[in-house]
Amino acid sequence: MFTRILRHEWRAITADASLWVVAGTIALAIAYGTFNGVVWVRFQQQAIADAAREERDRYAQQEEAIARIAAGQLTVSPFADPRNPQTAASRFAARYAALPPAPLAALSIGQSDLLRYYFKITSDTKENVTAGAELENPHRLLTGRFDLAFVLIYLYPLLILALSYNLLSGEKEQGTLSLALSQPVSLRTLTLGKATLRFIVFIGLIAAVASLATVIAGVDLRAPGAVPGLVSWLLAVAIYGLFWFALAVLVASLGRPSSTNAMLLASAWLILVVLIPSLLNVLATTLYPVPSRVEMIQAVRAAADDANTQGSKLLSKYYEDHPELAAGDAVQAMNDFNVIRVAVAADVEHRVRPVLDRYEQQLSGQQRVVAWLRYASPAVLMQDALNDIAGSGTARHHHFMRQVAAYHSEWRDYFVPLIFRKAQLAAYTGLPVFRYQEEPAAAVIGRVSTALVGLGVPALIIAIVGWRNLRRYPVTT
Amino acid sequence: MISRIARKELLDTLRDGRFRVLAAVVLAISLTSLAAGWKHYREVQRQHAEAAAATRAQWVNQPAKNPHSAAHYGVYAFKPKMRLSMIDTGIDPYVGVAAWLEAHKQNEFKYRPAQDRTAVQRFGELTAAEGFLVLLPLFIVLVTFNAFSGEREQGTLRQLLSLGVRPFDLMVGKAVGLSSALAMVLVPATIAGIVGLSLTSEFGALAADAPRALLLGAGYTVYFATLIAIGLGVSARMKSSRAALVVLLACWFANSLIAPRLASDVAAAWYPAPSAVEFQKALDHDLADQTDLERRLQRRRAELLERYKATSLDAVPINFSGVSMQEGEEHGNEVFDKHYGRLFEIYERQNRLQQTLGVAAPLLPMRALSMGLAGTDFAHHREFVETAEEYRRMIQRVMNGDIAENSKPGVVYTAGRELWAKVPEFNYQAPSARWVLSNNVRSLLLMTGWLIVAVAFAMTATRRSRVD
Repeated sequence: MFTRILRHEWRAITADASLWVVAGTIALAIAYGTFNGVVWVRFQQQAIADAAREERDRYAQQEEAIARIAAGQLTVSPFADPRNPQTAASRFAARYAALPPAPLAALSIGQSDLLRYYFKITSDTKENVTAGAELENPHRLLTGRFDLAFVLIYLYPLLILALSYNLLSGEKEQGTLSLALSQPVSLRTLTLGKATLRFIVFIGLIAAVASLATVIAGVDLRAPGAVPGLVSWLLAVAIYGLFWFALAVLVASLGRPSSTNAMLLASAWLILVVLIPSLLNVLATTLYPVPSRVEMIQAVRAAADDANTQGSKLLSKYYEDHPELAAGDAVQAMNDFNVIRVAVAADVEHRVRPVLDRYEQQLSGQQRVVAWLRYASPAVLMQDALNDIAGSGTARHHHFMRQVAAYHSEWRDYFVPLIFRKAQLAAYTGLPVFRYQEEPAAAVIGRVSTALVGLGVPALIIAIVGWRNLRRYPVTT
Repeated sequence: MISRIARKELLDTLRDGRFRVLAAVVLAISLTSLAAGWKHYREVQRQHAEAAAATRAQWVNQPAKNPHSAAHYGVYAFKPKMRLSMIDTGIDPYVGVAAWLEAHKQNEFKYRPAQDRTAVQRFGELTAAEGFLVLLPLFIVLVTFNAFSGEREQGTLRQLLSLGVRPFDLMVGKAVGLSSALAMVLVPATIAGIVGLSLTSEFGALAADAPRALLLGAGYTVYFATLIAIGLGVSARMKSSRAALVVLLACWFANSLIAPRLASDVAAAWYPAPSAVEFQKALDHDLADQTDLERRLQRRRAELLERYKATSLDAVPINFSGVSMQEGEEHGNEVFDKHYGRLFEIYERQNRLQQTLGVAAPLLPMRALSMGLAGTDFAHHREFVETAEEYRRMIQRVMNGDIAENSKPGVVYTAGRELWAKVPEFNYQAPSARWVLSNNVRSLLLMTGWLIVAVAFAMTATRRSRVD
């Protein structure tokens, strides 16, 4: 019986123009969204490649300069001397630390247009090194991109609702519902059949178009994590779709006319996809307001002024803390600008740490609020899941930033002793290199499955309530 | 007749449970967003004012030092928050709040507030403008979709027309009635907004914002009128309420969610912008090319020797290092103007194209106008960036001029507070409402066009509307 319903329903909806409008819209939107994601991934890869080329060219140039100075063909001022470790660490030998786009990055642009994915690491303070951002038209950042995640989070549920808002009310209004139920079929089986067919149509269409688009776009499926990622992406699409179908069944079970159903579902969509996320944002930023960064800038500046006036005092203290570095001509080093600079930088970082910590505390407070309250909106959960699968979310960026911080320390720790020893670099070989270590797959899967469970449980509850309601459905008015 | 229809329509709407729920929701949202916007504005404004005072104090309290060291020390420019940004935050979360104004370099504005937020920020900021641009139009859809089709379905349309009511009067009456109902929601919100504004500023500042605020109100009125006309027109044209609702919801979705993204993508593809690496590389390349600078320095040297009839620069009462540093600045300024000018021009073109694409969606020109009047669009950001840069260049001129005039080559020279205080305090005045309008001619034309087309559509739709 069930398959017969499916077959009949298939004939019925394919005869209706609205299915073709909906199918055409979603196919087009998915193809375009994937294309947009791919364009952005290429842009990122190009920027990272450009950075690497800039670094390579600069290294070659400086190596050549070093060779010419050694051969006596070139004289430069001490501050512009590429062999001077301070100059090398802060300018000539600067190296990039880059976060390469994950294999499935094209599936969701996420936060990757806002949070910077490459940094030029120098011996400057970590805050200065990581302060910049990728250039982008701010209007574009505000609007957001038309990527696959946008299509799935916003458009996909609306199209589901457009095809199922009159699941039962449509037949009832045409007078065909009581006719259908005069056959040996229960209302529940009929509803299940109608919803299942639409679900299969959607999932099939999305899976087909998206896989085709990713293959055409040249996503490497052999990359580690690509296949499990695609599987969890499909799962996310299915569970998110299930949530909205369950909602449509619940509303259908109330037995209201089609236009009331449409209004109810449109309002539910608006509340869950638009209002709750915005309210969450307001709540998080009101509970944990992050002060404007101008406070940090002023704190850093005041600390630097202080440290500079105490430069020589600081230096002797630094030597007390690091006696191994004071060996040799410390008195002479005392006047060395570079040495003072290192000491001042260390002091400034030490003093402003509490100020910087406050920003991080507030931001993690916001994240905690959102992490708890996101279960109120399937859209936020879906966004989290998609960003995690695509590697364009906050978590992977944090993972990257921790490595950047470690690399920055390594960079400085490499040069500071050289600066103190007033050594000269004979070549730019053996300098620390940044190698991004990908997040462990288990962490990603853990986050994605939490979000998916958070989506699936309410979907199930709504479906059960709708199912039970169907018993009381008024077949005739 | 029209007023009688309008009164009936208003009464009907007010009695409708849907309307009451929606009105309560809209009111609650606008008040929440205004309160949040107000609190945020006050905090940020206070922090920025304090920081601006602090950076000034640090500048004038510098110890005696060489003016060039002072120029390197520099000051910070902090972006002031515009009062009307509490209505429309615009691009504020996505542009940096501070730039270091130092010698030799135009630094970019760093620290975008959105970087200190969670990913839910990307669902959109809950501001009054967001409510007006996106949520209220949905509200309009929900109250207009069955304005005509509902009468037709109930059979009252035939009755009305048999009484000799002209379809035109019916349309105007309904429009007036629904607008009054809408006004009953919006007027309290607007009053709350005005109270909020006046709490943040003394009367003078409020008066200074009045032209912008009034224009903002006028712009949104035109926007709402357009949408009401479209809603009524579709309701008259469609066969059933259901069809009208589906069509209007699809239009709403296309206007508020699809169009902005699509327009932004099209604009970015049409006028591609460089990445930071690419931009920096081109900038560094031009900065390093000093052939023109050398030529200019030669000329200045010759001029000085000529003017003082000297054979060597040592005999000239001007310290040439001050002159040469200033020439270095001028060289840098040209390069910065070229590159930043080009970059900003790309963004402006993208934004103008987005406005033009407003022929397909009225939200686009309205959003541009709203951000412009609130002082939170890219044009305002650019204006501020350029004012700050002008200030930086002035500092360099004062410092280098002092070196040229008062110092001697080879002699240690320091200046003190007197020189630091010669640099006036950085004071930014937002441009006038007229400037905003001249930036937004395109948007104004498009919105007028939309209103005319929408009203004409509503009129023809009513005339051709079927009775049953």
